[in-house]
Amino acid sequence: MRRANIISGVILAIFGLVMLAVVIPLQIDPGPDGMMSPRLVPGMMMGVVIALSLLLVINNIRAKEPEAADAGPPISRNELLALAKIGAVFGAAILLYLLVSPLPAGAVIVIGALVALGERRPLVLIAMPAGLLAAIWFLFYKVLGTGIV
Amino acid sequence: MSDLLIGFQDVLNPATLIWVAIGVTLGYVLGALPGLGKATGVAVCIPLTFYLGPVAALGMLIGIAKGSAAGSAVSAILLNTPGEPSSAPTALDGYPLARQGKAQKALKMGLFASVIGDFVSTVILIALAAPLARYALLIGPVEICAILLFSLTFIGGLSGNSLIKGLIAGAMGVFFSTIGLEAETFVSRMTLGLLELEDGIALVPMAIGMLAVAEMAVQAGNVKVLDSEGARITDGASRSDRVVLASEWRRCLPVIARGTLIGSVVGILPGLGASVGSFLSYGATKKASKTPEKYGTGMIEGVAAAESADNAVVPSSLIPLFALGIPGSVIAAILIAAFILHGLTPGPLMFQQQPRLVADVYAAMLCASVILLIVGYTGQRLFAQVIKAPLRLIIPGVLLLCTVGAYMETSSVFSIYVMLFFTVIGFFARKLDFSFVTFLIGFVIGPNLELSFRQSLQLLDHNAVNLAKHPIAVVFILLTVAVVWWIGRGKNPAAGGQVTRSSRATEKHVPTNS
Repeated sequence: MRRANIISGVILAIFGLVMLAVVIPLQIDPGPDGMMSPRLVPGMMMGVVIALSLLLVINNIRAKEPEAADAGPPISRNELLALAKIGAVFGAAILLYLLVSPLPAGAVIVIGALVALGERRPLVLIAMPAGLLAAIWFLFYKVLGTGIV
Repeated sequence: MSDLLIGFQDVLNPATLIWVAIGVTLGYVLGALPGLGKATGVAVCIPLTFYLGPVAALGMLIGIAKGSAAGSAVSAILLNTPGEPSSAPTALDGYPLARQGKAQKALKMGLFASVIGDFVSTVILIALAAPLARYALLIGPVEICAILLFSLTFIGGLSGNSLIKGLIAGAMGVFFSTIGLEAETFVSRMTLGLLELEDGIALVPMAIGMLAVAEMAVQAGNVKVLDSEGARITDGASRSDRVVLASEWRRCLPVIARGTLIGSVVGILPGLGASVGSFLSYGATKKASKTPEKYGTGMIEGVAAAESADNAVVPSSLIPLFALGIPGSVIAAILIAAFILHGLTPGPLMFQQQPRLVADVYAAMLCASVILLIVGYTGQRLFAQVIKAPLRLIIPGVLLLCTVGAYMETSSVFSIYVMLFFTVIGFFARKLDFSFVTFLIGFVIGPNLELSFRQSLQLLDHNAVNLAKHPIAVVFILLTVAVVWWIGRGKNPAAGGQVTRSSRATEKHVPTNS
């Protein structure tokens, strides 16, 4: 965790610096004369983030070696893989939404997630998206009387 | 009092009560589903009330708000995925209790604490709203700014293992809240030329991404382990595992009383919201306990503390709305539209212009509390069945509901992009122990904090000495400094919050930083 703290602190400090030096001046106009600058609060927050991130880095560099139980990486390979898989499922669903229609996009979210999580039974892969989409249609269009799309 | 009796006469008829009951049931179900909280539920159901009378319509919407506040504990306890952020502290002890075979006990205590907190807070609303209108006017921007700053610091310190990380998360939340048109100068800020960002980042897709989808991603990465653990979540054989014992009631009643008080006070203060209330209550209970180290391992007091405060916030957050016309929470902001739609404009004048409708709303709120107890208690076994389903079947359904919930906020695919962006942030925040709850609270109170800060600078004439004219603000600024010192002293500053072994053990399953 100590290493992760140092890395995340450095990344956050760089993020804050980029925001403060580049993004805020480019993306926020100074504002009318006589009024407080719209850059004030975003700039202040980034200042706070930079200062605290540096403090996080310094504290962790100076810290003692962690116990063996705390020495492992905080994020496992399986978790990163799962995040990537879910991202891919949503990517496919968005493509289908934009190119075809919302219905297959919804089905892909369910089927894709099921497959990504190791489900292989054909009945489940067919029945679950059908059941969920029908239930959502009934809830919103029939019970609540409001359309989704 | 006579007005209230007339209100009960209007509400206690089948035509109205049925809609209140439908609202509570619907709210309970929506609350139990991760990502679909009370704000989404009320927003989605407002069109449904177009065809109802004002009392039935407002009763139903209030029922949804109350039901979902209580229902969010179900998924927090059974799935370790809070229905909404304010139930995150419920999961800290509720989920370990469920894993010990005490899911029913935790659910019952969560429900009882919710109902008590909700009912008492409603009584407080009735007692305070009208009289407070006079005194609340004394709280100006300087005081609000100081109170918001104090709250953010306190939550940042309590909700994670590291004060530094908590404060970073809070500052980032405020930063992201500044995206969009600036309220005073109407200057566009960091919109990257995207029209969708002119109104700022929508809270619902952001919260769904950070809380629900990110949690699903983490759980998907541990699905085999969690399914094997989920299979071990069975109801205990003994009666004592399923019911709340008298000794537990004795321990929990003071906790519920404190939680209700904290929730009510937090609800009254604009901008804080239920998450602040439940975390403050949980933190205060933990601090007051003789065995704080046991919290996070299945203490029933933890569930009682979080749920009583969470539900107490909802009615009391209507106090600033009713007394001043200022929404004290997201749900109050959404309810303004519904109130106006049905002929009741929130604000001090409504007590003079619409006393009967106000009394009807109060009566409907009290009835909704009782209905909540009945619906929650009878439906509990049904909800408890969720724990028997394997995660690989739950996650796809939750992802679909999250997508629908996020999409409905703006009816645009852009909401899905926002949800996915904050899923990634939520995922890394969760794993690296940055408090995403503090981030969200910073985001929610950010606009209010900025506005009050700007107004304060003008009121104080850019001179800190003028603060002396605002003793309440001075007290809260001093409290902020004291909190930083107090919390910072109690934590391991060197590691910036290195996770202890015990917290590490629960970290994988807890949706928020403990």
